Order: sequence, then C-alpha cells, then structure tokens
Amino acid sequence: MKETILSVRNLKTYFFTRRGTVRAVDDVDFELKKGECLCLVGESGCGKTVTALSILGLVDRPPGRIVGGEINYDGINLVSCLPARMRQIRGREIAMIFQDAQSALNPVFTIGDQIVEQIKLHSEKSHRQAREMAIDLLKEVGIPSPDEAASYYPHQLSGGMRQRAMIAMSLSCDPRILIADEPTTAVDVTIKAQILDIFQRLKESRQISLLFITHEMGLVSEIGDRVAVMYAGKIVEIASVTELLTNPIFQHPYTSSLIKCLPGITQERERLESIPGTVPSLIDPPSGCLFHPRCAKAMAICREKEPPPVNVTKGHTVFCHLYSAQGMKK
Amino acid sequence: MKKTWLRDYIIRRLLYAIIIAWGILTVTFVLVRIGPTSPADKYLANLAARGQDAAQVIAAVEARYGLDQPIYAQYLNYIGNLVQGDWGWSFSTSMPVIELIQTHWIYSFQLILLSSIFAGIIGILIGIYSAVRQYSRTDYIATFFSFIGISIPNFWLGVMLILLFAVQFGLFKTYYDTSLPLFSLANLKQLILPVITLGTGMLAGYTRYTRSAMLDNLRKEFVRTARAKGLPERTVIGKHVFRNAILPLITIIMFDLGSIVFGGAYLTEIVFGIPGLGRISFNAIFADDYAVVVAITLIAAFLILMINLITDITYTYLDPRIRYD
Amino acid sequence: MTKRFGIRNLALILPALLIGLTLLLDIFVIETIVEPLVYLYIALGGIFIIYVISPLYASRRLVNYYWQRVKRNRLAVAGLGFILFLILLAIIGPFLTADPTAVSFEEKNIPPVGFTLKESIYELETGQFITRTATGDWQHPLGTDNKGRDLLAMIISGAGVSLQVGLLATGIALALGTLIGVISAYFGGKTDNILMRFTDIMMTFPFFLLLVLIVFIFGANLAIIVLVIGLTGWTGTARLIRSETLSLRTREFIMAAKALGASDGRVVLTHLVPNVISLIIVIATLSIPGVIVAEAALSFIGLGDPAVTSWGMVLRAGQQTLDTAWWVAVAPGVMLFLTVLAFNFVGDGLRDAFDPRSSL
Repeated sequence: MKETILSVRNLKTYFFTRRGTVRAVDDVDFELKKGECLCLVGESGCGKTVTALSILGLVDRPPGRIVGGEINYDGINLVSCLPARMRQIRGREIAMIFQDAQSALNPVFTIGDQIVEQIKLHSEKSHRQAREMAIDLLKEVGIPSPDEAASYYPHQLSGGMRQRAMIAMSLSCDPRILIADEPTTAVDVTIKAQILDIFQRLKESRQISLLFITHEMGLVSEIGDRVAVMYAGKIVEIASVTELLTNPIFQHPYTSSLIKCLPGITQERERLESIPGTVPSLIDPPSGCLFHPRCAKAMAICREKEPPPVNVTKGHTVFCHLYSAQGMKK
Repeated sequence: MKKTWLRDYIIRRLLYAIIIAWGILTVTFVLVRIGPTSPADKYLANLAARGQDAAQVIAAVEARYGLDQPIYAQYLNYIGNLVQGDWGWSFSTSMPVIELIQTHWIYSFQLILLSSIFAGIIGILIGIYSAVRQYSRTDYIATFFSFIGISIPNFWLGVMLILLFAVQFGLFKTYYDTSLPLFSLANLKQLILPVITLGTGMLAGYTRYTRSAMLDNLRKEFVRTARAKGLPERTVIGKHVFRNAILPLITIIMFDLGSIVFGGAYLTEIVFGIPGLGRISFNAIFADDYAVVVAITLIAAFLILMINLITDITYTYLDPRIRYD
Repeated sequence: MTKRFGIRNLALILPALLIGLTLLLDIFVIETIVEPLVYLYIALGGIFIIYVISPLYASRRLVNYYWQRVKRNRLAVAGLGFILFLILLAIIGPFLTADPTAVSFEEKNIPPVGFTLKESIYELETGQFITRTATGDWQHPLGTDNKGRDLLAMIISGAGVSLQVGLLATGIALALGTLIGVISAYFGGKTDNILMRFTDIMMTFPFFLLLVLIVFIFGANLAIIVLVIGLTGWTGTARLIRSETLSLRTREFIMAAKALGASDGRVVLTHLVPNVISLIIVIATLSIPGVIVAEAALSFIGLGDPAVTSWGMVLRAGQQTLDTAWWVAVAPGVMLFLTVLAFNFVGDGLRDAFDPRSSL
C-alpha cells in the first residue's frame, strides 16, 4: 500500500450568499497517495473545483468559508495552518493548474516573467538562473523554441501553448502534489491528447501525486489510478479505475449513468444517454440521498436516509442504499 | 520594425495635433475678432485719456500692429509670426505675450503638479484599499466621501477654506504672495489651501476610478493563479491586480487632466489670486487683451492634445495586447 | 398604436406652431413678447414629451420595476427628494419672499437666525466708533448681505436660475449628443469617421476657457450661457450613445425594421433613440450638476447674467465680505453643493438600477 500524502477528512466548504447557504462541498472524504493520480469526476457545479480550492485555501472569502473538516498534508492541517505557512506550501509543494489558461495567466506579464516570479519566490536562485530554469521547463512541456516563447505575452500564444506554459509554471518549484482543474476543457481535441500526454509523462518522470479534476469519464481511464465521483457536493463513490470500469456490479447508479453518457466506450451503436433531471439546488438540497430524484433505482429509503459509505470490495466505497445494510433489508 | 511603427504613429499623431491646434487657433482668433468691442479700443482709450490725440496715435498703432489690414491679412500675419516664435504683444501689460507666459506658467504648473501628486497618491491608495475591502465600513466611508469630494464646487471650497483657515483662524494669508521664492517652505505653505481646493475633486475622482478599476480586476482568474503561486497578498494586489487596473486608470486620469483640472486650476488661481496662466488669461479677457487670450487658449488646447498623445503612447507600452497587434 | 402616434404628432406640431407664431410676432411686432429662453423651453419640452414621457408611459411596468430598484438606494431617494424640494422652492419660493434685488442699507449685514454679530460702526453724528450688536431675526432667516438684500430671497432666485440653466443646457447637449452619436453609429463609415473626429476636436477644446471667452464676447446673458454650454457639452454624450447604439445596430429588431422597408430616419428616431433612453436618462442626471457648476463658476468670476440673481453671483459678493458677513458666502455654496450631490446620488442610483449586472 502506498503512503498517503494528502488526506481530506469531512471537508465542508459553504458559501454564504444572500439567497442562503450553498453547501458546495459537504462532508467530503478522500486520500491522495504518493505518486498516484486521483481523478475527481462529476458534472459541473458539483463541488470539484471548490474542493481543490479548499485544499489550497483559495476559496473566496466572503462569501465562501471552510466550515468543518481537516485537510492533512505532511503532518499539518491546511484548514487551520497559518497564512504564512500556507503561502510556502502553495506553488512550492502543492501547485494548481486552472481550467482556462487564457484568463488564468496575467495578460500584462510575459510567460517567462510569470514563471521566474514563482521560482524566485520559493528559492534563492538569481534572476538569470531562474530564467534558464523557466526555459528548461517550457522545453519539458513541449513548447517549441522555448527561449523565444518565454518573452511572449499570454495572448501571443495559442490555447494549447498557454496551457503548457501554465503547466510549466506549476512545475517550476517541483511540487509534490499537482492539482489540475479541468486542464483540457478549454482546448481542442487534438491538443487535449497532447496535454494528457504531458501529464502521463510527468507522472512517470517526476513521481508527482496528481489530483485530476474532470467532468469527462473518458479521460479517467487514460490517466487515472483511482477515481472519486462527486455529486452535489458529496462524494458518491471511490474506487480504483480498473475496479470502477470493469466491475459494474457494485457501481453507484450515478456513476453508471455518467459512464453511459460516454460515446463509444461500449463499442455498441446506441443512442447516447443523458441523465434525466438537473443537479439539485445546493441551498435547499433534497432529503436523504441527493441523487434520488434523478435515480432510476431509487427506493423509499433513499428519500429518507442519507446513504452510509459501503465498502463493497477492497478500496471501493459506494454511498448508496443499494448496497447498504439498511437498503438490503427491504 | 516595431520601432519604426511607433515613430510613424507618433509623427502621424503630432501632425494631427498640429492641425487641430491650428483649427482651435482659428476659431479663437475669429471669436475674438467678431466680438462687439474692438481689441484696440481700450488701448486707444487709454492713450486718449493721457491727453494724446487719438486720431494721431490710431494711425501709428494700426500701422504698428497691422490692425488696419483686413482680418484675413491679420490672421495670416499672426500665424506667420507665431511660426517664428512671436506670440504678439500684450496691450494691457505692455510686454510680449511670450515673455508674459514665460514668467507666469510656473505658477500654474506648480499648482497642478502639487495637486496631482497630492490627489494621485492619496486617491489611488484609498481606492485600492476600498476595493480590496469591498463592502467594509472603510469602503462605505471612502465611497461616501468621494461622492462629497466630487460634488463640492472647487471655487466654493476655496472660499470656505479662506474663510475658515485664513480669516477665522489666521493660519494663512488670504492672498498669494509672489515675492516668496518658488522653492521655499513659505511658498509651499501658501500653496496648501490652493492645492486642497484643486486637489479635493481630483482626489475623489481618483479614488472612485481606482476602486472600480481594481474591482474589475480583482475578480479575474489570474488573481487566483497569483495566490496559488504562493505570492503574498501585497504582491498579488500591488503587482498583479494593480498593473492591470492601471491601464483604464491612466486614460481616465489623463482625460480629467485636460477637461476638469485645467478649468479647476483656472478658478483656483482666481480665488487665491495666484498669477498663473489662468489668472493672466482671465485678466486679459477683461482688458480686451486678445493676443494673450488667444495664446493661452492655444497653449491649453495644445497641452491637452499632447496629454492625449502621451496617454496613447503610454497605454501602448503598458498593454502588451495593443503593442503587438 | 394609433393613439400613441397621435400624441407624438401633437407633441411635435404644437411646439412647432407655438414657436413659429411667437417668432413671427417677435419679428413683426417690434416689442419682444417672450424671452429667448422660452423658445428653448417649448422646443425641449416637445422633444421631452416625444422621447422621454411617451416611451416611459408606454412601458409603465418596466418603469415601475426600475423604480422599485432605485428605491432600494436610500441616497438616491434622498437626492430625488432634495431635487423635488428645490424645484418647488424655485417655483413657489419667489411668491413668498421679498425681492432679491431690493437694497436696504439700514438692514445690511444681518446674520442668520440664531447668530449674533458684534460690529464696529463709524457713527456720523458723533464721529465715533460704536459697537453695534446685530442679531438674526425671522424677517431675514438667512440674514442679509452688505447691501441689505435678503439672502433667502437671493438663494431662492438662484435655485430657479441654476435649475433652468441645468435643465435647458443639458437638454440641448443631450439632444445634440444623442443625434450625433446615433447617426454616427447607425451610418458608420465616413459619416462616423467625420463626426467622431469632430467630437475629438471638440473634446480637445479647453472647455472652461472657451466658455469664459464666448460669454465675455457675446455678453453675459442667460440664453447665451445656456446655448454655449449646450452647444459645447455634447461630446461625452455623443461618444457614449455611439457605443451603445453600435451594439444595438446589429440586433434583430433593427434588422427587422430595415427589412420591412423603414427609412433610415424612421429607424433612428423610432427604434434606436427609444432604446437608448435609459442611458440618456442616466447621462442627463449626471451631467446636470456639471452644467450648474459651470454656470455658477461663470457668475462667480463676474460673467453671470446681471439681470438675474444666481448662486455664483451671491457667492462672489460673499467672497468680498468674508470678514464682515461670512454667511453670504456660505449659503449659496451649501445650496450648490447639495444640489450637485443630490443629482450625483440620483444619477448613480439610476445607473445601478438600469445595470442588469448589478445585483442590488
């Protein structure tokens, strides 16, 4: 069993708005192991990004606040640690890549300067050394003529190149954990494959632990070691990728429907399925299991009781009454 | 290639500025000449009052200043002289206009410069703070006071400051003393009230502009990236956000300089009796001293044009998206 | 539909007739019947009815919705209250107060109610200085100036002047600016280029210097002041309206109107202008204070219309007697300040209310 590098325990991040409290992340529990890639999957608005931001303490406050739980990294609780310590961890030990590099990069500084800034922040390197390092990083992520690219502004690069630069920047301090928030959503399909390739290589060459956030089940099989499926601010299922994709017997109904939404995975020409209904309001969530209004297999108990975690096989946990002791009884 | 592009751009803009300045010169010249009173009337009346034969001097004066010629000839003459650096003759002060301007521009300049520094530094700092702490009590207070600062007519503020600090408390002289050396503490002290008078409105404006420009950028995603890098909040705000906010800020501050600050300085000089260009031009209007009026209007217009040009060039330098497109 | 066009045509024809008639009378009957400003009132009133009142009336529910939004901004409501108070003051006030120009040297330098003032006076009969104590009374609630004129009466007269200048000059500037902006955006190309260049040039003019110069040359007359401010103050409006119209130009309803064969003039006047009305209202509210201050500044430096008593003029008189009668300088300035503040509050409230992005 691999060593745990980051563990999230009962994390609750709420947003306090005029309309009410949004329970964006509600009681989320997972572990990230050394050198593995954990995929966080779910529809948009299910709390994936907020979970990632909570880890780095970047949730906008107000209106957001972490109201409970722990995030343990390297023996410290990131929820309660001092801002100064948090700043040392950000970028240097836990780095993050954002969805849209276009808006995530500062438009008025060159790519090189933005990378150099991070290197100099966390090390004693001279400007020249940092610059050389930045160019090496750009090369590593596959940017052609990296020394020229370093003096470009974000708008001068193409979407794929910008995302590579963003990855280079996040790698600049050789972080132990990399959080990638839908890094392939804003780029086209051809570039998507290249970007995924970079992550694949990083996992091998740098032994980095990757928390990969995506809404596409298809990416999970390509890059993930383990998967955590999120729905409406809660984790509904955690399993290894092989278990999840090959053992449909113990799947959470939500996971099943996510997989069914994928084109071409079953090799049969059927109509693409979609999940009926919409994501529930997180201000006034439904009772019991949050998925029951959209679930085809919903039972009476689903409306009443929140499903407990059920260990169906080793390392495979499902939050569903289909497999719970109470659900089985009926 | 980049360099020549910028040079061509500047040359084009300069030509444009000269053409507009020429247009303004023409309009002002014509306005002054079609006025009901002839510019030479007062001068002649003065001479006549001193017991000289008006009819005799008229010929001499007209010959000397070319006033006997038709208006288009006078106009061409004026432009010809202007190109050679001769701005005409001031009747009311009996000195060349260029000399008058040379001795008095510094008073306007110091007033505008000091007010800009005062308003710029404080206004931008308050604006940044206000934006970072949006909806806090400090923000509300700053917003309220910026409303008041924008609404208070500056000439009345000047009168009230004189009433309070000069008349009631006797802390300052009620009038500007030109005999003090320019670079002295005493001169700085007597500029305190004028600078507050001119600077309050500017300060309030800068606070509002900075606040809204900062708010626009504070919500952008690159701010989150900057924080995720581990940068201290000071750098995130002061470098990443401010560097983006400064772009719209520069445009609006420079625009204000031309449209609001010049008018404000004009009134401030009148209220405090500061002998700057505004006051000179004001006196010249009442003395029918047209050469001075035309010259100062032209200078003000040209300054505004130059400010616009400088703004555009600065903007090009600060915003890479414009520079490379 | 027909009813609205009826109102429109009536509003257009009536002022035109009135203006024509009085103009004819003015020219052929030698005595001037109406002041020049009255023409402006009638013309602007007509435009106001066609382009502001009638569309607002046609969309009452929308107006009500915006009013609900404005109402949440307490400062804007307070500002609106003050403006209404000022309008009432300007209309009713003159009937209740003394003549603002009546000079009475026996009653000079009386302080406002609640203040007393000790004054050394040279007495002619004895040839000695005596100390006189002047106490404010309700005869002159705000006191009198150094010529014994009643300050309250002057303030009320000034309110009328300021409001007139503010509304009329802003009306002219807005009408011009809207027309130029809409035409520029609608026709684009060369027209746009020429009009915007012209706007640029106008913007380069040192506005206040120009104002002083023109008013001095053509005489200090309220109508001239209004005209000059109106004819020079349209540049900002033109630019804002232009960019707003540019975004409207390609919208479906304009396309539809064009496809149905509407003439350019008709598209501009019946489709484009009504759709920028909310922007115009905001610009109007926010440009009135600038105009009022410009007029006050002109009067303050001695270029006001000598036939009327304006705040700037009173302030000018007050500045010269700061050491003997401070209140003369305080009162008109306070009114000027409050008026500007009120318009700014209302304008800001309206802008927020019209802004669909603001959550309010």
